[in-house]
Amino acid sequence: MTKKNIRKGALDIMFAEWLFFGLAGLSVLGAIGLILFRHPMNGAMSFVVTLISLAGLYALLSAKLLFAVQLIVYAGAIMSLIIFIIMFLNIQEHDLPDEEGKGLFLLGGAVVITPIALFLYKIVKSLPGSDTKIIGNGFGDVREVGLILFKNWLLPFEIVSILLLVALVGAVVLAGKKGVGK
Amino acid sequence: MSQLDILLVLLRVAVGAFVPLCFIAVLVWLERRGAAFFQDRAGPNRANIFGFRAAGLVQNAADGIKLIFKEDVIPGHSAHKFYFVLAPLIVFFCALVSFAVVPFADTLVLEGKQYIMQGIPMDLGILWFLAITGFAVYGIILAGWSSHNKYGVLGALRASAQVISYEIPMGLALVSLLVVYGTINLNEIVHFQGKLLFGFIPMWGVVLQPLAAVIFIVSAFAETNRTPFDLAEGESELVAGFHVEYSAMKFALFFMGEYVAMFVSSSIIITLFFGGYQIPWLSTETLVAYAKPVSMLLMGLVPVAAALFCGWMMKNNKSHYDRPNDPRVREAKVYRIIIWMMVVVVEAVLVGYLLYAAGGAADRILVVLLQIVTFLVKTFMMCFVYVWVRWTLPRFRYDQLQLLGWKMLLPLALLNIFITSAVVVALS
Repeated sequence: MTKKNIRKGALDIMFAEWLFFGLAGLSVLGAIGLILFRHPMNGAMSFVVTLISLAGLYALLSAKLLFAVQLIVYAGAIMSLIIFIIMFLNIQEHDLPDEEGKGLFLLGGAVVITPIALFLYKIVKSLPGSDTKIIGNGFGDVREVGLILFKNWLLPFEIVSILLLVALVGAVVLAGKKGVGK
Repeated sequence: MSQLDILLVLLRVAVGAFVPLCFIAVLVWLERRGAAFFQDRAGPNRANIFGFRAAGLVQNAADGIKLIFKEDVIPGHSAHKFYFVLAPLIVFFCALVSFAVVPFADTLVLEGKQYIMQGIPMDLGILWFLAITGFAVYGIILAGWSSHNKYGVLGALRASAQVISYEIPMGLALVSLLVVYGTINLNEIVHFQGKLLFGFIPMWGVVLQPLAAVIFIVSAFAETNRTPFDLAEGESELVAGFHVEYSAMKFALFFMGEYVAMFVSSSIIITLFFGGYQIPWLSTETLVAYAKPVSMLLMGLVPVAAALFCGWMMKNNKSHYDRPNDPRVREAKVYRIIIWMMVVVVEAVLVGYLLYAAGGAADRILVVLLQIVTFLVKTFMMCFVYVWVRWTLPRFRYDQLQLLGWKMLLPLALLNIFITSAVVVALS
């Protein structure tokens, strides 16, 4: 029976690995699409693909709350607002500026990025390999994350929420009609 | 995985997928007959197969066949045909998948193993519902935008602005509710509502959080784009709104998606505020402990209900003028035979259960079946409320709709959170 269990565990891990590769590939593809598509709607939709696959990666790391928050906040709310704006402005391809000297910029960018990329590659290669396993004990659950957030990180949490509130008020003031009510 | 595991996985996925799909037909029927009822007319009652009209359900089959054989038009002027095809799929799929976390019965314990009775056995609960309904906006926006039609774009603008705005009061109403329940897991929420307040009132969400219930139900109506919030497709202004360019099965997907969304939000309302699958005053443990008397009671009640229903049907299902050999009476007689055959089957199963299987696993299975029936009945009643509101209230003006969302529901929801938290802190 134990042998069977071990085999089953190995199968699960293999399945999780395939899922990881699939989701990672999708998220990279989405990111590439975001910068290569010319039409803003295509770019936004490929970014949605990236965000959803990132949510899948969080789920693989048994961070359930983060998975849900990623879907609700980023993929659900923020991106739907961005797509809403793209629909609202109805930008077509002929509205976009011509990109002259694209090749030159690409070349320059590649030259700048290459050392950083090599550095990153070295870092990734030097990472020690280790097996992943499910941690358990409610890791990443709503309750656990909430407890940590409101016990150990209460002050930063409140400061961030005030920051967001300030940004919100600022946006309302900037967008509000001028001279109304005077 | 044992065979039992596989069987139960199949069963749960089947219920999670087929129940919403079957409810499309039921709800379309309910909508038409309900509309007719409120307007004092008969509704669709002529379409038949060999004289059998199934109270008008055959009309749905006729509509389905019509939609399948219609020409599937993709407008030539649309520059984004991929999104045009994708949009109805997103709407339908999101509506269907959001049902996956709603528990339709209590956790089934068989051979020492627990089986969570929902389409996908995970404990994200209400967060999953919020996440998936958020995606439905994409379908609406993409449909309106890729149609390249001004009515389509206007409808999509209205629909998406409305859905995005009403998500906020909905989420805030949920916050106060979660403060009370202390969990996001829908099954635990239903368990919580099985308790009794002062020893005799079931602690349903609507009793503990009436304000949150009103806010949530209003927002849920707005989220499903139904009257009085159906500005998105206001026929008199926008023809059909975001799906004006769609035809055949693509239109049908939007149409069915709307009804699936209505079913799912009814089931969520039931789960959050009306005790979910719980039969009032009878918790799962009580039911399992008293499975034998309950099944005997059922044996008595089922024939009585069938007799009452048959009597009502025989009285009403006849032509209103003299017809030789009235086909409607003949139809009703056939239905009567079918109903009594079903009653005999139910009785036989119950007798078999009492004689051979009582005590043990069969008790639990019986209770699960009872709870599924309760859940479906409750959800059906909530769906009727949707139909009721749709054919009773007129449409809002669009600015009134946004004002209601932002200036009424949002402050009320915030106030509710403060009051609820204060009470919860004071009581603990």
